[in-house]
Amino acid sequence: MLEALLAKDLRRVRRNPLPWMMNLALPLVITAVMGLAFGGGGGNDNSLGRIKFAVVDEDQSPLADFLRGAANQGKAGQYLEPVFLERKAAEQQLKNDKLSAMLVIPAGFASNYLTGGKVQLELVKNPSEQIHPAVLEELLEVVVSGLNAISRNFNSEFPAWRELAESRGDYHQLSRLIEQTGNRIETARKYLFPPLVGYTNIAGPQSAAPASGGKAAPKFNLFAYMSVAMAGMFLLMLAGQGMADLHRELSRRTFERYHTLHERLLPFVAGKVLFTVVIVSMGAAIMLGGGQWLFGFRWPRPLELGLLTLAYVFFATGLMALSVAIVPDEHRANALNSVLSMILSMIGGCMLPPDQFPAFMREHLCPLMPTYWYATAGRELWWSEGSWLISAAKLAALGTLCVGLAAVLFKRRFEKGAR
Amino acid sequence: MLKVSAISKAFGTVRAVDDVSFHLSAGEVYGLLGPNGAGKTTTISMVCGLLRPDAGEIFIEGKLFSANAGEAKRLMGVAPQELALYEELTGRENLEFWGRIAGLKAAEARKRAGELLEALSLTDRAKDAVKTYSGGMKRRINLGCALLHRPKLVLLDEPTAGIDPQARARILEFITGLRASGASILYTTHYLEEAETLCQRIGIIDHGKLLAEGTLSQLQELLGEGLVFTVEADFGESLPAQWEGFAAHFRVLQKSENQLVVAAVGRRDPSECLKELLALPVPLRNVSLKRPSLNDVFLQLTGRQLRE
Repeated sequence: MLEALLAKDLRRVRRNPLPWMMNLALPLVITAVMGLAFGGGGGNDNSLGRIKFAVVDEDQSPLADFLRGAANQGKAGQYLEPVFLERKAAEQQLKNDKLSAMLVIPAGFASNYLTGGKVQLELVKNPSEQIHPAVLEELLEVVVSGLNAISRNFNSEFPAWRELAESRGDYHQLSRLIEQTGNRIETARKYLFPPLVGYTNIAGPQSAAPASGGKAAPKFNLFAYMSVAMAGMFLLMLAGQGMADLHRELSRRTFERYHTLHERLLPFVAGKVLFTVVIVSMGAAIMLGGGQWLFGFRWPRPLELGLLTLAYVFFATGLMALSVAIVPDEHRANALNSVLSMILSMIGGCMLPPDQFPAFMREHLCPLMPTYWYATAGRELWWSEGSWLISAAKLAALGTLCVGLAAVLFKRRFEKGAR
Repeated sequence: MLKVSAISKAFGTVRAVDDVSFHLSAGEVYGLLGPNGAGKTTTISMVCGLLRPDAGEIFIEGKLFSANAGEAKRLMGVAPQELALYEELTGRENLEFWGRIAGLKAAEARKRAGELLEALSLTDRAKDAVKTYSGGMKRRINLGCALLHRPKLVLLDEPTAGIDPQARARILEFITGLRASGASILYTTHYLEEAETLCQRIGIIDHGKLLAEGTLSQLQELLGEGLVFTVEADFGESLPAQWEGFAAHFRVLQKSENQLVVAAVGRRDPSECLKELLALPVPLRNVSLKRPSLNDVFLQLTGRQLRE
């Protein structure tokens, strides 16, 4: 019977394919637009591009030297391209759109900082750019938070620093102090505010050294990173569209006609679930498979990602079946599905990385969301096998529960005479 | 074949069906006649298991429906009043699909669909999408979809509602053939002629209550041994209740400004009745005698026209 139900629905789609094609193509288009807006590209280490900015050092102290040096060393060097200029030259280049921003370290910065006085760094952003200055601003906030934390926690070492700053010499002493302070910062790091821009999380696993003899982790790709989360959102919406067909079956009385032939409604609901799973799986194949082809990357674990996605598709379909069973009116159900999809996607981290959420949301709400299970496990698959199997099992179990509940609710609705 | 015993169904404060009982023998056509909103569809919905009665029982082939719903449903074919079709699919695809759902194998469903298309005179449009069909053709396919699995009990809920006379005649012809094949049919309608033509027994239902049932002649006998007169006159302000001795001899079925339909009370001689009517204190234009129709019976029982 399931075969007959599925064949019927697919035949109906074939007769009127336009709405479905639009639904299938939309996620890909949006991913492309968003990816391009963020400067994404195939397989680059720094897919945002290096951010060029000027450092105007009016202090000329060892501490300012330290800040200047830190701006283009190590991992920061992958993303940042500081140039050291006089204020006027920097302002001129900013006007000519050659820089994203200008960071001014004011005169007296080091001595004021080390004596506990108020200091202020100055950031002038290029108004014609959106993303790079914003990223710099966020990074600067992190630096400021770090400096504040140091000031609060390492006050006892400041005389030594001040002495060093005033004597402007002994680099042995400087390196010793840096090491000493660095160790203390490391232990206090978890108390600092997390960065608002998730560079560290995005690039972290990529830069991890491969296990000896193991395969190197693939390079980070923004489209791949976004695709999984975007799929999490759009597959939910597509499932809503698929299961909305149950409303049409109800309004056309075909569901009722089926009920005149069979007492158990589960096969009919299951048939629609099967149809939706097929359609949404096609959507997933287009998004994840087509995205791979379109944006020039390769999924490192396609089988695992496929199975995880299939489990998610089943969950999304079950959830939407439940929504149709609960809300009798198609328009209201569509509205509910949209809101539900948006909320689940938002809290589940499909729109923004969960790292950027407030701590309560990140630690207590996000992990409850099936969208989070999918997006997180899907992203983890880029670098390692992670916990995809557990996530897939949870998603499949939840989907099964939803489908069963939907069938029971439909039966009750019929018995009450509500259509 | 079917026994309905004192079933009731209420939706909130509205009693859609109130203590309705009837039975349907094998090979019989039973008509449930009543105006829109009388409770016909609710009754049929309970019989086919779409609705659960608040009270009462339904038996199919002697077995309690609620205890054997799955088995009972396999014996039934239901053509709902509202079209229950996939408009994007062709007529043949609709028939084959419902055949598969009714439990037929693909090849068998294909064969039966062909037979039904032929019987419903739709073979030449079999490959067209249902959305391109006329109202009458959709009704025929809707009917056909209920019959793929050769049900023993066929429930037809107003199968001719809202279609033109020609299409109606085709459907009635098809149902006559179905009756000849030996199927038991529960037929709801608000068309008197259909009930008179097709049904061996008729139940008259209004406001959820079964008011009377029986064969056509049994129902006619409810009205003054079969004597019904139509009196045409200018009645003006004059009321039958004011006419001396009238109420003792005649029962008013319907009254308008220029027409009065009355049934003779008791076993009466037609010429005697005619004499009494000609002596009425109003200027008469015409008096005619007729066999009481179902409409007269319905008027007598409910005080309103069937199509009101």
